[in-house]
Amino acid sequence: MVLRVTCLGVACCLLFGVNAFPDEPVLPDVLVTRQLAARAHLAVGDVVAFTTDQGGAPATRFRVAGIYEPTPDPMRFTAQRMEARMHLPDLTRMTMDSTDPASAESVDAINLRLVDPAAAQAFQLDVRTRVPGITAYPTARSPDRDPFAVLDRFHVAISIVTVLGGTAFLLALMIIRAEERREIIGLLRLVGISRRSLLAAVLLEGLFIAAIGAVFGIVLALAGQGIVNRIFQARYDTALVFVRVTPSIALRSIVFAVPLGVAAGLAASWTVLGRDVLSLFRR
Amino acid sequence: MTHAVVEAQGVSRVFPMPAGAVTALRNVSLHVDRGDYVAITGPSGCGKSTLLHLIGCVDSPSSGSISFENRDVATLRESERSRIRLTRIGFVFQRFFLLPMLTAAENIELPQAEAGVPATERRQRTRELLEYVDLADRAGHLPSQLSGGEMQRVAIARALANRPALLVADEPTGELDDTTGNHVADLFDRVHADGTAILVVTHNSALAARASRRLAMKSGSLMP
Repeated sequence: MVLRVTCLGVACCLLFGVNAFPDEPVLPDVLVTRQLAARAHLAVGDVVAFTTDQGGAPATRFRVAGIYEPTPDPMRFTAQRMEARMHLPDLTRMTMDSTDPASAESVDAINLRLVDPAAAQAFQLDVRTRVPGITAYPTARSPDRDPFAVLDRFHVAISIVTVLGGTAFLLALMIIRAEERREIIGLLRLVGISRRSLLAAVLLEGLFIAAIGAVFGIVLALAGQGIVNRIFQARYDTALVFVRVTPSIALRSIVFAVPLGVAAGLAASWTVLGRDVLSLFRR
Repeated sequence: MTHAVVEAQGVSRVFPMPAGAVTALRNVSLHVDRGDYVAITGPSGCGKSTLLHLIGCVDSPSSGSISFENRDVATLRESERSRIRLTRIGFVFQRFFLLPMLTAAENIELPQAEAGVPATERRQRTRELLEYVDLADRAGHLPSQLSGGEMQRVAIARALANRPALLVADEPTGELDDTTGNHVADLFDRVHADGTAILVVTHNSALAARASRRLAMKSGSLMP
């Protein structure tokens, strides 16, 4: 069985996926992803062989010490995560050029974590100035180059259109409802119930309906979130969370929905409350 | 200062219509004193209801003046007229106009609540009124569970809820059979006897006959 895997950026080949060497004395440990373990039918304790040679030799044997869930990466959620993690000396030994003793000492890239992430640009310039030939760049994407920033803006645009459309729809419904209650409102005003009292009642009703609607929407989003995540996680075999309704999103929904609902209710009611009493009885 | 609850002087009401203005009332003068019982009769379309709306502070005259308890209605804001309708005038309609989602007791309590009557006081007053109209056992019933006569009695109780000076009724027996209509007329007699002024517009000659004053209308004018 031969599978191509990515191993800390080095292309390797997994040669053996079974406990083919039970009497092997002490083998270096390797961790394999859940996906790789499933594909190669590996279990903890199995002995596997890795090589960088497409032909399959020479291979280095490892013992599977654990199976891990790879960190979800939204930029690579469609990729099959056939990955393994091993100790750096083992990796170096496996990848070194036997004809070049210095190759074990060569370093292609170093990842650095800065104490102050905001200093990345300054650090990048500093490295370039001090060591010409070394390329330094921040791994964090700037907002203008971040594809998710574009996606975010797209989502904001969709949500604005949805909110405006929803408000118009709600307003139309409220106007129809106000028209249906025209005679009752006329009666109430006729017997002396003031516009202010009726507006207060409408305000309370609108507040109640909008709050219930917002809560219903949040519950629906939470339920939808679970369904969408399960479908896409199964589809792409990933633990990536595709949809998440955060408290902040829920709060924003209420902050938008309740005033808009109340305003729509008041605007619709005013089409009836603004008329003179007798006109409310005329058809 | 007069003893009139309401007084209309030279009142006219013209409705502008696309096909031309319609004059519903022409130079009508009328007064209803405290404890008065006035019936207005006349053919359909003669302006009875229009006059009732003006007297009830629902509408404003095109010309002439109306004073309610010595206050010129034309000078009052809508909120002040609304307050007068709430506390000083009781309305009874041909079609009852009870709120369908409220029980009989709640329909009677509503104007009291709007007038700011404390809860215990208005519950007591509602009980009294339900007994007054002989519907104490129907307090928790919705209008849909009441007969026409019972609905009209609840409507009369609602009209009396805030102890008005004037009860205004527009064809109160129009949707009732003779027997039930007579019961409602009996109830009006009791209300009148208890000191509330009544102005009723009706086609029912038996009801009109019970009034202390009967006025006839024709083509927007009161007949001499």
